Amino acid sequence: MSSSELLSRQNLTGLLDSVDTFIFDCDGVIWKGDNLIQGVSQTLDFLRSKGKNLVFVTNNSFKSRAQYAQKFQFLGISVSPDEIFSSSFAAAMYLKLNNFPPQNKVYVIGGDGILEELRLAGFTAFGGPEDSNKTVDLKQNIFFEHDKSVGAVVVGIDPNINYYKLQYGTLCVRENPGCLFIATNRDAVGHMTAWQEWPGAGCMVAAMCGSTQKEPIVVGKPSTFMMAFLLTKFNVSVSKMCMVGDRLDTDILFGQNAGCKTLLVLSGCTTQSALQDPSNNIHPDYYTNKISDMLDLLDT
Amino acid sequence: MASFTTRAAAQPLKNADELIDSVETFIFDCDGVIWKGDKLIEGVPETLDMLRAKGKRLVFVTNNSTKSRKQYGKKFETLGLDVNEEEIFASSFAAAAYLQSIDFPKDKKVYVIGEDGILKELELAGFQYLGGPQDGDKKIELKPGFLMEHDHDVGAVVVGFDRYFNYYKIHKRYGTLCIRENPGCLFIATNRDAVTHLTDAQEWAGGGSMVGALGGSTQREPLVVGKPSTFMMDYLANKFGISKSQICMVGDRLDTDILFGQNGGCKTLLVLSGVTSLETLQSPNNSIQPDFYTNKISDFLSLKAAAV
Repeated sequence: MSSSELLSRQNLTGLLDSVDTFIFDCDGVIWKGDNLIQGVSQTLDFLRSKGKNLVFVTNNSFKSRAQYAQKFQFLGISVSPDEIFSSSFAAAMYLKLNNFPPQNKVYVIGGDGILEELRLAGFTAFGGPEDSNKTVDLKQNIFFEHDKSVGAVVVGIDPNINYYKLQYGTLCVRENPGCLFIATNRDAVGHMTAWQEWPGAGCMVAAMCGSTQKEPIVVGKPSTFMMAFLLTKFNVSVSKMCMVGDRLDTDILFGQNAGCKTLLVLSGCTTQSALQDPSNNIHPDYYTNKISDMLDLLDT
Repeated sequence: MASFTTRAAAQPLKNADELIDSVETFIFDCDGVIWKGDKLIEGVPETLDMLRAKGKRLVFVTNNSTKSRKQYGKKFETLGLDVNEEEIFASSFAAAAYLQSIDFPKDKKVYVIGEDGILKELELAGFQYLGGPQDGDKKIELKPGFLMEHDHDVGAVVVGFDRYFNYYKIHKRYGTLCIRENPGCLFIATNRDAVTHLTDAQEWAGGGSMVGALGGSTQREPLVVGKPSTFMMDYLANKFGISKSQICMVGDRLDTDILFGQNGGCKTLLVLSGVTSLETLQSPNNSIQPDFYTNKISDFLSLKAAAV
């Protein structure tokens, strides 16, 4: 497998000529925690001025698309909720596209973002943050009840994970016939704050795998579900797309699985040495420090 | 662990005396074999008495790490069973015994995601520990700029069943951070049982869940000290000076108890008084075949040698 090319004026010009749509990961590419990465705003304006479609794809299921749009706005970037694909939205779309019966309920282990997207899509969803203070008091003969009409359990990042939620989700998956086990994503760690890594959804999902002994349906990167969805929605061809991300095993793999071009930025969780380490098998087409390098390279 | 030996299907236990005479030690699982929740299973005291009268050594092995051996000793006593603490091997004890066996330095600390049993056993073995139930109330406020510290002296993280499980323990100070950032930090699991019978009436998410969570965030596999890992079997074979062919493992769970016995190379007897039904044993999806199966251990008393 050929190794990655450092982004240059020459290959960037070629890339801009051949690509109509840029898909951006958010954490580590656009922002870090709640701080905008330097030069992002001008870069996105530049790309729009060149007539490029911009799509923002994030595995972070904590917020809904509307909440992410607000975050963009707060950071001074104009983005429509329709351009954002969060894994919270992906979970709702998965159920919709697979004709999940509306009379079945969905139990959520995760944040408000997932609940909001499920409800927007017309599903009855419960759980999420309101179960964060529930405890299990293991007295003799206590019986833990669960709703038998739950047809799917959706698991995403949950900083308020607890035994009650794990037990509820476990009983639904193990005992409700045909109950789906859906994971928004399996990232081991995430940047919940700008300064360090925190256990990601991969942790909560693995907890559920441990007790259900089942593998989940993953809707977020690197699964191609979101890609297939947005290809249909935007009616674009994969050969005219470029995926821009900071994580090799989600973003870049996502792009490669779909067959589009891939650009790794070093403004997030991957360093140059990690990229070039002999143990790394994932080679993006290009790599650069941060997306605003596009402007510097073209002297714009 | 893949096994390429095809085993014959499990035989219903008919000649109990023959099995009893062929072994010197019986290892009993507890939940579903001796008791169910807090209720003793019918005929257990008489069965244990009979085995002792025949000079058999009895050992009790449980993956449940919430109690220490001493605390289990009390449970046996409350149920009217005459069992010595030295005969009990809980996975809480196994974690401490493992650290002793590798000469884990006494100046290093152990972070515990689990309950009291683990803490007590670590204390008895002379190890410094942090965590346990007291971290159950700790919360994380994800405000901008929030940076969590972790103790760089932690040399091992031990994970077991934890009803007070939360994000603080997984992440910070110790859990994920220690395993990912402290050089050589050990990741030890007491057990990986998916579900467990905390109450008689239903299944509850087990230690496999907490261990799964840490595995998911560290992307590392733990060292498992409980069944079906043979650590406890090797430990007690060594301690009591017995050979594995002289042992019969009696349990109610195929993927922990019976696999434990098979991995250890001893005889295996499945009882149907716990989580496994005859249907599950005989299902085409099941590949774990014990040597024998029977309803409950008191069948040792009721089944007599066939008249010749």
